[in-house]
Amino acid sequence: MKSIMAFIFVILFGISSTSLIGQCDSENYTNNCIPKLAEGFNYLKSYKIDGEGGSKTKVEYSYVFTKGTQYMINICATGENTDGIVVSLFDQNRNKVASSKINNQFVSALAYPCNATGIYYIQYTFDGSAQHCGGSALGFKK
Amino acid sequence: MRIIFILILFFVFSACGSGNKSDDQAFIESLESGDKKTAIDEELISGILQQIPSPLEISLMLKESGNKYNSDFLNSPDNYGKYNTNYKKALNLGVYGTDLGYTNIYEKNADGIKYLSKIKSMADELNIGQYFDIQTIGRLAANSRNLDSLLMMTTKNFNTINSYLQTQGRSNLSVLLLTGGWVEAMNIVCNVASMGVDHPELRETIGEQKIVLEQIILLFSFFQDSDENMASLLKDLKELETAFKEVNITYTYKESSVEIVNGVAVVKDNSTTTITITKQDIENIKNVTGSIRTKIIS
Repeated sequence: MKSIMAFIFVILFGISSTSLIGQCDSENYTNNCIPKLAEGFNYLKSYKIDGEGGSKTKVEYSYVFTKGTQYMINICATGENTDGIVVSLFDQNRNKVASSKINNQFVSALAYPCNATGIYYIQYTFDGSAQHCGGSALGFKK
Repeated sequence: MRIIFILILFFVFSACGSGNKSDDQAFIESLESGDKKTAIDEELISGILQQIPSPLEISLMLKESGNKYNSDFLNSPDNYGKYNTNYKKALNLGVYGTDLGYTNIYEKNADGIKYLSKIKSMADELNIGQYFDIQTIGRLAANSRNLDSLLMMTTKNFNTINSYLQTQGRSNLSVLLLTGGWVEAMNIVCNVASMGVDHPELRETIGEQKIVLEQIILLFSFFQDSDENMASLLKDLKELETAFKEVNITYTYKESSVEIVNGVAVVKDNSTTTITITKQDIENIKNVTGSIRTKIIS
Protein backbone atom coordinates (compact mmCIF):
# COMPACT_ATOMS: atom_id res chain seq x y z
CA MET A 1 0.00 0.00 0.00
CA LYS A 2 2.87 2.33 0.87
CA SER A 3 4.37 1.81 -2.58
CA ILE A 4 1.01 2.62 -4.23
CA MET A 5 0.77 5.82 -2.20
CA ALA A 6 4.32 6.79 -3.18
CA PHE A 7 3.50 6.09 -6.83
CA ILE A 8 0.45 8.39 -6.67
CA PHE A 9 2.50 11.20 -5.14
CA VAL A 10 5.20 10.80 -7.80
CA ILE A 11 2.53 10.99 -10.54
CA LEU A 12 0.92 14.07 -8.95
CA PHE A 13 4.29 15.78 -8.52
CA GLY A 14 5.19 14.91 -12.11
CA ILE A 15 1.95 16.39 -13.47
CA SER A 16 2.40 19.67 -11.59
CA SER A 17 6.08 19.96 -12.60
CA THR A 18 5.28 19.30 -16.25
CA SER A 19 2.65 22.01 -16.30
CA LEU A 20 5.11 24.47 -14.76
CA ILE A 21 7.87 23.56 -17.21
CA GLY A 22 5.40 23.89 -20.09
CA GLN A 23 4.59 27.49 -19.17
CA CYS A 24 6.19 30.18 -21.29
CA ASP A 25 7.61 33.06 -19.28
CA SER A 26 7.76 35.37 -22.30
CA GLU A 27 7.75 38.47 -20.09
CA ASN A 28 11.12 37.47 -18.72
CA TYR A 29 12.50 37.22 -22.26
CA THR A 30 11.03 40.59 -23.28
CA ASN A 31 12.61 42.21 -20.21
CA ASN A 32 15.97 40.69 -21.17
CA CYS A 33 15.59 41.89 -24.74
CA ILE A 34 15.11 45.61 -24.01
CA PRO A 35 18.70 46.28 -22.85
CA LYS A 36 19.99 44.26 -25.80
CA LEU A 37 18.75 46.83 -28.33
CA ALA A 38 21.78 48.24 -30.12
CA GLU A 39 23.27 51.48 -28.85
CA GLY A 40 21.45 54.61 -30.00
CA PHE A 41 18.08 52.87 -30.29
CA ASN A 42 15.25 54.05 -28.07
CA TYR A 43 12.96 51.39 -26.72
CA LEU A 44 9.38 51.46 -28.06
CA LYS A 45 7.55 48.17 -27.50
CA SER A 46 7.95 44.69 -26.09
CA TYR A 47 6.43 41.68 -27.78
CA LYS A 48 5.73 38.38 -26.07
CA ILE A 49 6.34 35.32 -28.23
CA ASP A 50 4.38 32.40 -26.83
CA GLY A 51 3.89 29.56 -29.29
CA GLU A 52 1.95 27.68 -26.60
CA GLY A 53 4.25 24.69 -26.74
CA GLY A 54 3.97 24.43 -30.52
CA SER A 55 0.21 24.68 -30.89
CA LYS A 56 0.52 28.19 -32.38
CA THR A 57 2.51 28.47 -35.59
CA LYS A 58 2.87 32.24 -35.51
CA VAL A 59 2.52 35.25 -33.24
CA GLU A 60 1.83 38.59 -34.89
CA TYR A 61 1.81 42.26 -33.92
CA SER A 62 1.59 45.44 -35.95
CA TYR A 63 2.99 48.95 -35.71
CA VAL A 64 2.97 52.15 -37.76
CA PHE A 65 6.52 52.61 -39.04
CA THR A 66 7.55 56.06 -40.16
CA LYS A 67 9.66 57.07 -43.14
CA GLY A 68 13.04 58.44 -42.10
CA THR A 69 13.18 56.39 -38.91
CA GLN A 70 15.39 53.37 -38.33
CA TYR A 71 13.82 50.53 -36.37
CA MET A 72 15.39 47.53 -34.72
CA ILE A 73 13.58 44.35 -33.69
CA ASN A 74 15.51 41.80 -31.66
CA ILE A 75 14.70 38.30 -30.44
CA CYS A 76 15.52 36.72 -27.10
CA ALA A 77 15.04 33.05 -26.26
CA THR A 78 16.72 30.35 -24.21
CA GLY A 79 20.50 30.77 -24.29
CA GLU A 80 22.30 33.00 -26.69
CA ASN A 81 20.56 31.86 -29.87
CA THR A 82 17.02 32.49 -31.08
CA ASP A 83 15.82 28.89 -30.56
CA GLY A 84 14.46 28.81 -34.11
CA ILE A 85 12.32 31.92 -33.63
CA VAL A 86 12.23 33.95 -36.83
CA VAL A 87 10.92 37.50 -37.12
CA SER A 88 9.52 38.57 -40.47
CA LEU A 89 8.31 41.99 -41.47
CA PHE A 90 5.38 42.53 -43.85
CA ASP A 91 4.11 45.81 -45.26
CA GLN A 92 0.51 47.04 -45.25
CA ASN A 93 -0.28 44.94 -48.34
CA ARG A 94 1.32 41.86 -46.80
CA ASN A 95 4.37 42.02 -49.04
CA LYS A 96 7.33 40.46 -47.25
CA VAL A 97 9.92 43.10 -46.44
CA ALA A 98 12.49 41.10 -44.53
CA SER A 99 13.17 38.09 -42.34
CA SER A 100 15.72 37.26 -39.68
CA LYS A 101 16.43 33.88 -41.33
CA ILE A 102 18.84 34.48 -44.16
CA ASN A 103 20.38 31.59 -46.13
CA ASN A 104 19.44 29.19 -43.33
CA GLN A 105 21.16 31.40 -40.78
CA PHE A 106 19.14 32.67 -37.82
CA VAL A 107 20.03 36.17 -36.67
CA SER A 108 18.79 37.71 -33.45
CA ALA A 109 18.11 41.24 -34.69
CA LEU A 110 16.62 42.99 -37.68
CA ALA A 111 17.44 46.61 -38.52
CA TYR A 112 14.93 48.37 -40.75
CA PRO A 113 15.62 51.89 -42.01
CA CYS A 114 12.07 52.72 -43.04
CA ASN A 115 11.53 54.47 -46.33
CA ALA A 116 7.75 54.10 -46.55
CA THR A 117 5.30 55.09 -43.81
CA GLY A 118 2.50 52.64 -43.09
CA ILE A 119 1.20 49.82 -40.97
CA TYR A 120 3.69 46.95 -40.80
CA TYR A 121 3.11 43.45 -39.51
CA ILE A 122 5.76 41.96 -37.24
CA GLN A 123 5.38 38.20 -37.41
CA TYR A 124 7.21 35.63 -35.30
CA THR A 125 7.36 32.01 -36.50
CA PHE A 126 9.04 28.90 -35.14
CA ASP A 127 11.53 27.03 -37.28
CA GLY A 128 12.73 23.95 -35.40
CA SER A 129 12.12 25.66 -32.08
CA ALA A 130 12.42 23.58 -28.92
CA GLN A 131 10.67 25.87 -26.45
CA HIS A 132 8.37 27.90 -28.76
CA CYS A 133 8.87 30.70 -26.28
CA GLY A 134 10.70 34.00 -26.36
CA GLY A 135 10.48 37.74 -26.27
CA SER A 136 11.29 40.65 -28.50
CA ALA A 137 11.85 44.39 -28.27
CA LEU A 138 11.31 47.14 -30.83
CA GLY A 139 13.47 50.24 -30.77
CA PHE A 140 13.93 53.28 -32.98
CA LYS A 141 16.41 55.99 -33.82
CA LYS A 142 16.42 58.94 -36.18
CA MET B 1 -4.97 3.63 4.81
CA ARG B 2 -7.46 2.38 2.23
CA ILE B 3 -9.77 5.29 3.05
CA ILE B 4 -6.94 7.81 2.52
CA PHE B 5 -6.11 6.16 -0.82
CA ILE B 6 -9.75 6.36 -1.97
CA LEU B 7 -9.98 9.97 -0.81
CA ILE B 8 -6.86 10.92 -2.81
CA LEU B 9 -8.20 9.23 -5.96
CA PHE B 10 -11.59 10.91 -5.49
CA PHE B 11 -9.94 14.31 -4.98
CA VAL B 12 -7.69 13.96 -8.05
CA PHE B 13 -10.40 12.80 -10.44
CA SER B 14 -13.08 15.16 -9.16
CA ALA B 15 -10.68 18.11 -9.45
CA CYS B 16 -9.74 17.20 -13.05
CA GLY B 17 -13.36 16.59 -13.99
CA SER B 18 -14.75 19.77 -12.53
CA GLY B 19 -12.05 21.83 -14.27
CA ASN B 20 -13.01 20.57 -17.71
CA LYS B 21 -16.71 20.87 -17.02
CA SER B 22 -16.26 24.41 -15.82
CA ASP B 23 -14.35 25.44 -18.95
CA ASP B 24 -16.90 23.82 -21.26
CA GLN B 25 -19.77 25.36 -19.38
CA ALA B 26 -18.13 28.79 -19.42
CA PHE B 27 -17.60 28.49 -23.15
CA ILE B 28 -21.22 27.51 -23.81
CA GLU B 29 -22.44 30.29 -21.52
CA SER B 30 -20.20 32.82 -23.24
CA LEU B 31 -21.66 31.82 -26.62
CA GLU B 32 -25.18 32.17 -25.27
CA SER B 33 -24.55 35.51 -23.63
CA GLY B 34 -22.60 36.98 -26.51
CA ASP B 35 -19.40 37.21 -24.45
CA LYS B 36 -17.48 35.64 -27.33
CA LYS B 37 -18.09 38.74 -29.43
CA THR B 38 -16.75 40.93 -26.61
CA ALA B 39 -13.66 38.73 -26.28
CA ILE B 40 -12.96 39.00 -30.01
CA ASP B 41 -13.41 42.78 -29.89
CA GLU B 42 -11.00 43.09 -26.95
CA GLU B 43 -8.40 41.19 -28.95
CA LEU B 44 -9.00 43.41 -31.96
CA ILE B 45 -8.80 46.57 -29.85
CA SER B 46 -5.57 45.38 -28.27
CA GLY B 47 -4.10 44.71 -31.72
CA ILE B 48 -4.97 48.20 -32.98
CA LEU B 49 -3.71 49.84 -29.78
CA GLN B 50 -0.34 48.17 -30.35
CA GLN B 51 -0.06 49.92 -33.72
CA ILE B 52 -0.23 53.47 -32.41
CA PRO B 53 3.29 54.91 -32.59
CA SER B 54 4.96 56.43 -29.57
CA PRO B 55 4.81 60.26 -29.29
CA LEU B 56 8.53 60.02 -28.51
CA GLU B 57 9.16 59.49 -32.23
CA ILE B 58 7.73 62.95 -32.98
CA SER B 59 9.60 64.60 -30.10
CA LEU B 60 12.89 63.07 -31.24
CA MET B 61 12.24 64.13 -34.85
CA LEU B 62 11.68 67.71 -33.66
CA LYS B 63 14.90 67.74 -31.66
CA GLU B 64 16.99 66.05 -34.36
CA SER B 65 15.77 68.52 -36.96
CA GLY B 66 17.04 71.40 -34.85
CA ASN B 67 13.83 72.75 -33.33
CA LYS B 68 14.23 74.40 -29.96
CA TYR B 69 12.48 73.29 -26.80
CA ASN B 70 9.37 75.30 -26.04
CA SER B 71 7.47 74.65 -22.80
CA ASP B 72 4.61 76.89 -24.05
CA PHE B 73 3.54 74.01 -26.29
CA LEU B 74 2.89 71.79 -23.27
CA ASN B 75 -0.07 71.42 -20.93
CA SER B 76 0.76 73.04 -17.62
CA PRO B 77 1.12 70.58 -14.71
CA ASP B 78 -0.96 73.12 -12.75
CA ASN B 79 -4.03 72.04 -14.75
CA TYR B 80 -3.98 68.70 -12.94
CA GLY B 81 -6.68 69.78 -10.46
CA LYS B 82 -9.19 70.24 -13.30
CA TYR B 83 -9.32 66.56 -14.15
CA ASN B 84 -12.03 65.09 -11.96
CA THR B 85 -13.42 62.23 -14.04
CA ASN B 86 -11.74 59.01 -15.17
CA TYR B 87 -12.35 60.13 -18.76
CA LYS B 88 -10.40 63.37 -18.24
CA LYS B 89 -7.77 61.70 -16.10
CA ALA B 90 -7.03 59.01 -18.70
CA LEU B 91 -6.82 61.55 -21.56
CA ASN B 92 -4.59 63.90 -19.61
CA LEU B 93 -2.43 61.09 -18.32
CA GLY B 94 -1.63 60.56 -21.99
CA VAL B 95 -1.12 64.30 -22.53
CA TYR B 96 1.27 64.55 -19.57
CA GLY B 97 3.03 61.37 -20.73
CA THR B 98 3.82 63.03 -24.06
CA ASP B 99 4.90 66.23 -22.29
CA LEU B 100 7.19 64.21 -20.02
CA GLY B 101 8.69 62.46 -23.06
CA TYR B 102 9.22 65.83 -24.76
CA THR B 103 11.01 67.26 -21.70
CA ASN B 104 13.07 64.08 -21.43
CA ILE B 105 14.15 64.16 -25.09
CA TYR B 106 15.27 67.78 -24.68
CA GLU B 107 16.88 66.91 -21.31
CA LYS B 108 14.81 69.56 -19.51
CA ASN B 109 14.70 67.50 -16.36
CA ALA B 110 13.52 70.29 -14.06
CA ASP B 111 10.36 70.60 -16.19
CA GLY B 112 10.02 66.83 -16.46
CA ILE B 113 9.99 66.35 -12.70
CA LYS B 114 6.94 68.64 -12.45
CA TYR B 115 5.04 66.25 -14.71
CA LEU B 116 6.21 63.16 -12.86
CA SER B 117 4.31 63.84 -9.64
CA LYS B 118 1.11 64.71 -11.53
CA ILE B 119 1.39 61.57 -13.64
CA LYS B 120 1.84 59.47 -10.53
CA SER B 121 -1.17 61.12 -8.83
CA MET B 122 -3.43 60.59 -11.85
CA ALA B 123 -2.24 57.00 -12.27
CA ASP B 124 -2.98 56.35 -8.58
CA GLU B 125 -6.48 57.80 -8.99
CA LEU B 126 -7.06 55.44 -11.94
CA ASN B 127 -5.77 52.50 -9.82
CA ILE B 128 -2.77 51.96 -12.08
CA GLY B 129 -0.23 53.86 -9.98
CA GLN B 130 1.48 50.64 -8.95
CA TYR B 131 2.83 50.37 -12.50
CA PHE B 132 4.40 53.82 -12.51
CA ASP B 133 7.76 53.62 -10.75
CA ILE B 134 8.13 57.29 -9.82
CA GLN B 135 11.11 56.66 -7.55
CA THR B 136 13.27 55.07 -10.25
CA ILE B 137 12.13 57.54 -12.93
CA GLY B 138 12.68 60.49 -10.57
CA ARG B 139 16.18 59.23 -9.73
CA LEU B 140 17.04 58.83 -13.43
CA ALA B 141 15.58 62.25 -14.25
CA ALA B 142 17.84 63.89 -11.68
CA ASN B 143 20.89 63.04 -13.76
CA SER B 144 21.11 64.04 -17.42
CA ARG B 145 23.58 61.20 -18.12
CA ASN B 146 20.73 58.73 -17.61
CA LEU B 147 18.70 59.86 -20.63
CA ASP B 148 18.57 56.44 -22.33
CA SER B 149 17.53 54.68 -19.13
CA LEU B 150 15.02 57.42 -18.36
CA LEU B 151 13.35 57.11 -21.77
CA MET B 152 13.38 53.33 -21.54
CA MET B 153 11.91 53.26 -18.04
CA THR B 154 9.19 55.80 -18.81
CA THR B 155 8.15 54.00 -22.01
CA LYS B 156 8.18 50.65 -20.22
CA ASN B 157 5.95 51.99 -17.43
CA PHE B 158 3.40 53.39 -19.90
CA ASN B 159 3.44 50.13 -21.90
CA THR B 160 2.81 48.16 -18.70
CA ILE B 161 -0.07 50.45 -17.77
CA ASN B 162 -1.63 49.96 -21.22
CA SER B 163 -1.24 46.18 -21.07
CA TYR B 164 -2.69 46.07 -17.58
CA LEU B 165 -5.72 48.16 -18.56
CA GLN B 166 -6.40 45.84 -21.48
CA THR B 167 -6.16 42.69 -19.36
CA GLN B 168 -8.57 44.26 -16.87
CA GLY B 169 -11.18 44.95 -19.57
CA ARG B 170 -10.53 48.70 -19.26
CA SER B 171 -9.26 49.17 -22.79
CA ASN B 172 -11.45 52.29 -23.10
CA LEU B 173 -9.02 54.00 -20.69
CA SER B 174 -6.09 52.67 -22.69
CA VAL B 175 -7.61 54.18 -25.86
CA LEU B 176 -8.06 57.52 -24.09
CA LEU B 177 -4.52 57.47 -22.72
CA LEU B 178 -3.02 56.85 -26.16
CA THR B 179 -5.32 59.38 -27.82
CA GLY B 180 -4.44 62.09 -25.29
CA GLY B 181 -0.77 61.40 -25.94
CA TRP B 182 -1.22 61.49 -29.70
CA VAL B 183 -3.27 64.72 -29.72
CA GLU B 184 -0.60 66.40 -27.56
CA ALA B 185 2.18 65.29 -29.91
CA MET B 186 0.12 66.52 -32.89
CA ASN B 187 -0.40 69.86 -31.17
CA ILE B 188 3.34 70.24 -30.54
CA VAL B 189 4.34 69.43 -34.13
CA CYS B 190 1.57 71.65 -35.59
CA ASN B 191 2.70 74.53 -33.37
CA VAL B 192 6.29 74.11 -34.53
CA ALA B 193 5.06 74.15 -38.15
CA SER B 194 2.99 77.28 -37.56
CA MET B 195 6.05 79.14 -36.29
CA GLY B 196 7.38 79.34 -39.81
CA VAL B 197 9.49 76.21 -39.60
CA ASP B 198 9.10 74.64 -43.00
CA HIS B 199 11.02 71.54 -43.85
CA PRO B 200 9.78 68.46 -45.69
CA GLU B 201 10.16 66.07 -42.75
CA LEU B 202 7.97 68.22 -40.53
CA ARG B 203 5.25 68.49 -43.16
CA GLU B 204 5.42 64.78 -43.92
CA THR B 205 5.22 63.92 -40.21
CA ILE B 206 1.98 65.86 -39.95
CA GLY B 207 0.64 64.30 -43.16
CA GLU B 208 1.41 60.73 -42.21
CA GLN B 209 -0.57 61.10 -38.98
CA LYS B 210 -3.59 60.49 -41.24
CA ILE B 211 -2.77 56.77 -40.92
CA VAL B 212 -2.68 56.97 -37.11
CA LEU B 213 -5.88 59.01 -36.96
CA GLU B 214 -7.71 56.34 -39.00
CA GLN B 215 -6.71 53.75 -36.39
CA ILE B 216 -7.74 55.99 -33.49
CA ILE B 217 -11.15 56.63 -35.08
CA LEU B 218 -11.56 52.89 -35.53
CA LEU B 219 -10.78 52.39 -31.82
CA PHE B 220 -13.32 55.02 -30.77
CA SER B 221 -16.01 53.39 -32.92
CA PHE B 222 -15.99 50.41 -30.53
CA PHE B 223 -17.03 52.64 -27.64
CA GLN B 224 -19.36 55.19 -29.27
CA ASP B 225 -22.53 53.36 -28.19
CA SER B 226 -21.44 52.72 -24.62
CA ASP B 227 -19.63 55.94 -23.70
CA GLU B 228 -21.10 59.40 -24.32
CA ASN B 229 -17.80 61.18 -23.78
CA MET B 230 -16.03 58.97 -26.28
CA ALA B 231 -18.87 59.40 -28.78
CA SER B 232 -18.47 63.17 -28.47
CA LEU B 233 -14.70 63.01 -28.91
CA LEU B 234 -15.21 60.73 -31.90
CA LYS B 235 -17.21 63.51 -33.59
CA ASP B 236 -14.29 65.87 -33.06
CA LEU B 237 -11.82 63.31 -34.37
CA LYS B 238 -13.97 62.88 -37.49
CA GLU B 239 -13.74 66.63 -38.00
CA LEU B 240 -9.99 66.26 -37.86
CA GLU B 241 -10.27 63.43 -40.38
CA THR B 242 -12.02 65.90 -42.70
CA ALA B 243 -9.10 68.29 -42.29
CA PHE B 244 -6.82 65.45 -43.47
CA LYS B 245 -9.06 64.66 -46.45
CA GLU B 246 -6.84 66.31 -49.06
CA VAL B 247 -3.65 64.76 -47.70
CA ASN B 248 -2.48 62.01 -50.03
CA ILE B 249 -0.15 59.20 -49.10
CA THR B 250 1.04 57.19 -52.09
CA TYR B 251 2.80 53.92 -51.38
CA THR B 252 5.05 52.25 -53.92
CA TYR B 253 6.31 48.76 -53.18
CA LYS B 254 9.66 47.54 -54.42
CA GLU B 255 11.31 44.37 -53.19
CA SER B 256 13.84 45.02 -50.44
CA SER B 257 17.18 43.33 -49.88
CA VAL B 258 18.78 42.15 -46.65
CA GLU B 259 22.40 41.61 -45.64
CA ILE B 260 23.94 40.52 -42.36
CA VAL B 261 26.14 43.20 -40.77
CA ASN B 262 27.76 42.39 -37.41
CA GLY B 263 25.14 39.74 -36.66
CA VAL B 264 22.22 42.00 -37.51
CA ALA B 265 19.98 41.57 -40.57
CA VAL B 266 20.05 45.03 -42.11
CA VAL B 267 17.24 45.75 -44.55
CA LYS B 268 17.62 47.97 -47.58
CA ASP B 269 14.12 49.30 -48.07
CA ASN B 270 13.34 50.10 -51.68
CA SER B 271 9.67 50.94 -51.15
CA THR B 272 8.63 54.58 -50.87
CA THR B 273 5.78 56.75 -49.75
CA THR B 274 5.03 60.15 -51.18
CA ILE B 275 3.03 62.46 -48.94
CA THR B 276 1.18 65.37 -50.50
CA ILE B 277 0.15 68.04 -48.03
CA THR B 278 -0.35 71.77 -48.58
CA LYS B 279 0.20 74.70 -46.20
CA GLN B 280 -3.58 75.12 -46.10
CA ASP B 281 -3.98 71.47 -45.06
CA ILE B 282 -1.49 72.04 -42.23
CA GLU B 283 -3.33 75.17 -41.12
CA ASN B 284 -6.67 73.32 -41.07
CA ILE B 285 -5.19 70.34 -39.22
CA LYS B 286 -3.53 72.65 -36.69
CA ASN B 287 -6.78 74.51 -35.99
CA VAL B 288 -8.89 71.39 -35.46
CA THR B 289 -6.15 69.70 -33.41
CA GLY B 290 -5.85 72.82 -31.23
CA SER B 291 -9.59 72.89 -30.66
CA ILE B 292 -9.71 69.18 -29.68
CA ARG B 293 -6.72 69.63 -27.41
CA THR B 294 -8.32 72.62 -25.68
CA LYS B 295 -11.38 70.49 -24.90
CA ILE B 296 -9.16 67.74 -23.54
CA ILE B 297 -6.99 69.84 -21.25
CA SER B 298 -9.58 72.32 -20.00
